Amino acid sequence: MKTKKLTTITGLACSVALGAATLAGAQEYPDRPIEMIVTFGPGGGADLMGRTASQLLEPRLGVPLPVSNVAGASGNAGLTQLRTNPADGYSMATLISLTVASWASGLGDNAPEDFDVVAVVQSSPSFLFVPANGPHQTAEALFEEARANPGTLTVATSGYGTQDDVTLKLLGEAEILMENVPFQAPAERYASPIGGHTSAIYEEPGDVAQFVRAGQLVPVVVFDTERHPEFPDVPTSAELGVEISGLDNFRTLSVKAGTDPEMVARLEEAIVDMVASPEWQEFCSQTYSCIEPVTGDEAQQMIVDFRETIAARLGS
Amino acid sequence: MMDTLQLLGGGFGAAFHLAAFTTIVVGLLVGVVAGALPGISFVNAMAMALPFTYVMEPTQSMLFLGGIYVGGVFGGSISAIMINVPGTPASLPATWEGYKLTQQGQVKRALAIALTASATGGLVSALVLSFLSAPFASFALSFSQPEFFAATLLGLVSVIAIAKDQPFVTMVSLFLGIAIGTVGVDPLYGQARFSFGISEMESGIRFVVVMIGLFAVGEVVDLLATNRSLRPSGTRARGLGVKFSDLWGVKWAIARGTALGCMIGVIPGAGATPGAVIAYGVEKQVSRRRDEFGTGVPEGLAAPEAAKNATTGAAMVPLLTLGIPGSAATAIMLAAMMLHGVTPGPLLFIMDPSMVYTIFAAMIIANVLMIVCGIGVAQAFSTLMRTPPAVLGAFIIVLSVVGAYGVRNNIFDVYVCLAFGVVGWAMKRIGFPTAPLVLGVILGPLAERYFLTSLANSRQDWTVFFTRPISATILGLAALFILWSLWPNISGLLRGRHARKA
Repeated sequence: MKTKKLTTITGLACSVALGAATLAGAQEYPDRPIEMIVTFGPGGGADLMGRTASQLLEPRLGVPLPVSNVAGASGNAGLTQLRTNPADGYSMATLISLTVASWASGLGDNAPEDFDVVAVVQSSPSFLFVPANGPHQTAEALFEEARANPGTLTVATSGYGTQDDVTLKLLGEAEILMENVPFQAPAERYASPIGGHTSAIYEEPGDVAQFVRAGQLVPVVVFDTERHPEFPDVPTSAELGVEISGLDNFRTLSVKAGTDPEMVARLEEAIVDMVASPEWQEFCSQTYSCIEPVTGDEAQQMIVDFRETIAARLGS
Repeated sequence: MMDTLQLLGGGFGAAFHLAAFTTIVVGLLVGVVAGALPGISFVNAMAMALPFTYVMEPTQSMLFLGGIYVGGVFGGSISAIMINVPGTPASLPATWEGYKLTQQGQVKRALAIALTASATGGLVSALVLSFLSAPFASFALSFSQPEFFAATLLGLVSVIAIAKDQPFVTMVSLFLGIAIGTVGVDPLYGQARFSFGISEMESGIRFVVVMIGLFAVGEVVDLLATNRSLRPSGTRARGLGVKFSDLWGVKWAIARGTALGCMIGVIPGAGATPGAVIAYGVEKQVSRRRDEFGTGVPEGLAAPEAAKNATTGAAMVPLLTLGIPGSAATAIMLAAMMLHGVTPGPLLFIMDPSMVYTIFAAMIIANVLMIVCGIGVAQAFSTLMRTPPAVLGAFIIVLSVVGAYGVRNNIFDVYVCLAFGVVGWAMKRIGFPTAPLVLGVILGPLAERYFLTSLANSRQDWTVFFTRPISATILGLAALFILWSLWPNISGLLRGRHARKA
C-alpha cells in the first residue's frame, strides 16, 4: 500500500516535472506567429501542402502560421524572401523539386546551402497519363507509336529544363521520341490532353487526381523503380525497358540556413508528429504523395543531389 | 431539364437558409467594397478571405468566395466611373465612357447603366452555368492553344480599334506594355529575361501592379500637381437621374456584351479583362454612334460592363464541370474546395449535386442582390468624392501601396507601383494614352505563351493558326477589325499618295 502510494507520487512528480519542461520549451520557441511562405499562387499542389501544414501545425506549435503566397520565378521569389528574412525561425517556406530543377537551369540566385530543409513531407513519382478516349490506351501502344513515327506524339509538360523535360530526353535516348509541349499554367496543361489536343501528359498523380478518379485520364506508365501501391496495374518504365527513376516530385518545408538547431529540432518534431496524424494521412493519400518524412542531413542531401541530377542530364 | 429545375429548386432552398444567405450577402459586400477601393483588387480580397473559409462548410465557403467574385468584378466600375480610377483591370473600359458621363454631371445615370448591365450579364451567365454547363464545357475543351492565341490577338487588336483618333500613339503604348510584359521568367524555357541581374525582376512585372501605379497613383500625383478637385463641377446636378428609357436604349449593347462575355469567360486564362475590352471594341464597330465613342456614350459603357460580369458565371463552368480553374479568382475557389477535400469535376455532379446546384443558385441570387449592394456602396462612395483632394489622395496612395504589396506579398512590387505612378503622371501630362499599356502588359504575355505552345504542339508549323477553323475565323475577325478601324487612316494615306501623283 505504501509502495503504491510512493509510486503514484513519484509518477505525479515526474509528470509535473516533464510538463514543466515542455512548458518552458514552448515558452522559448515559438512565442509568436511563424510566417508560412508558399512559393506558388493559391490553388496548386504547393499551396495545398502549405495551407494544410499551416492548419495542422498550429495546435502542435501553439502559434498560428499565417500563409502568404509569394509566387514568381518558378518558386524562387518566395525563397528569395525567406533568404533575406532573418534566420530567427519565424519564417518557413515550401521548397519543392520544381524550384530545385530551376536552379539547375540557371534560374534565381538561390542555392541548396541557403536553406535548411526541416523535412521532406510529400513525394510522388510521375506518370504518363493518356486521355480516356485517346487512341493509345497502354504504354506499349504509346511507345510503339512513338518509335514508329518519331515526334508525332505530344506530351503536355510544365516546361523545358524541368524533370519533365529530362524524362522525355531520357525516353528519346531510348528512341521513344515524343514532342515536349510546355504549358506554364497547370489548368491549361490538364485541359489539353482531356480536350484531345495533346497525346499524353506528364504529371504526378496527386495533381490530376480528380481527372483520374473521373476516368478522364488513364495512367499508363510510372517512372519509378517499383509499381505505385495505389496503381498496381500500371507498369514501371523499367518493365518496358527504359530505366528512369530518381526524378520524383517532392515537397519540403524549409527555413533559412543558419537557424538555431534547437528551433529546427522543435519544428522537425512538430512536422513529424503532423505527418503521422490522421488528418495529414488523409490529405496525402488523396494526393497520392504519402511518405515517411525525411529529415536532417538526409533531407538536405536530397535537394543537393536533385540539382546535380537535373544539371547533369540537361548538360548531356 | 426537369431534373435540372428540381435540383436548382433544391439549390435555391439551401441558398435561402439564413446562414447561407448571410454568407452570400457578406461576400457580395466584401467584394463590391474591395473592388471599388482603388488598389485593392477582388482577387486580393479572395486570397485574404481564404483562411476564413477553413472553418466553414464546403458549400458555404463557395458561396462566400462566389459572392466576393461577383461583387468584386462589378465593384471596380464604381471607382472607375466616379473618380476615373479603375478598381480592377476589367473596369478599364468603364473609365472611357463612364467617367465622361460623370464629368457631364450624369454620375447617377452612368452608375445605373453600369449596374444594370453588370447584373444582367452576370445573371444570364449564371443561368448559362446552371442549364448549359455541359455543352459550354465541351465548347471550352474544343479550344486549344491556337484558338486561345487568336482570341488574345483579337483582344490586342480591339485595343487599337478602340483608340479614338490616334491609332499610332495607341500602338506605341500597347507595344510598350507588351515589352514590359516580357520581363521575368519566360513561359517555356524558364529563363529570366530583362531582369538586369536583379533577382526580384525575375518574378516579372504584374499587370495589377502596373495598373495601380498608372491609374491610382498617377491620378493622385496629377491631382496634387494640378491642385484640381476629383469632383467634376456638375456632380451635384440632381435632375439627371436615371430614366427607364436610358436602360431600355442600351438593351442590344447589353445583349451583345453578355454573349461575348459568356463565350470569352469559358476560355481558361482569358477572363474578365479581355472580355470587357473586346466587347467595347465590338460595340464601337457596330454602334451607329461610333464616332461619338469616348465622349460618354451609354452603349459604350453598357457593353463592357455586361461582358465582364458575364465572364463570372462562364468562368465557373470549367471549374465546376472539369475541375480546371481558368483565372486567379477561380483558382482560389479551387483551393477552398480542395482544402475541404472536395474535388470539382464531373464526379462532383454525381457525388454531390446538391452542392453544385446550391452554388448555381447562389450565383443567380448574388447577381440579383448585387443591384442593392452596388447602390449602397456607390452611395457610400459618393461621400468620398466630397472629401478634400489631399485627404482622398493620401487615402488612395495608402490603398495602392497595400494593394501592390498584397498582389504577392512582395515589397518590390510596391516600388514598381510607385515608379509607374510617376510614369503614369508623365504620360497623362503629355497626353500619351495609358490604358493600352496596361492592356499590353495583361494580354502580351498571354499571347506569347499561347503562340509558343501552339507551335510546340504542331512541330513548329505556323500554319496551324489558319488551318484550324475556329482559330482562322477569329483571326479573320481580327483582321477585319483592324482594317475597319484603321480605314480612315489608310484611305487618307492612299488619297494623299494619289493626290501627290496627280
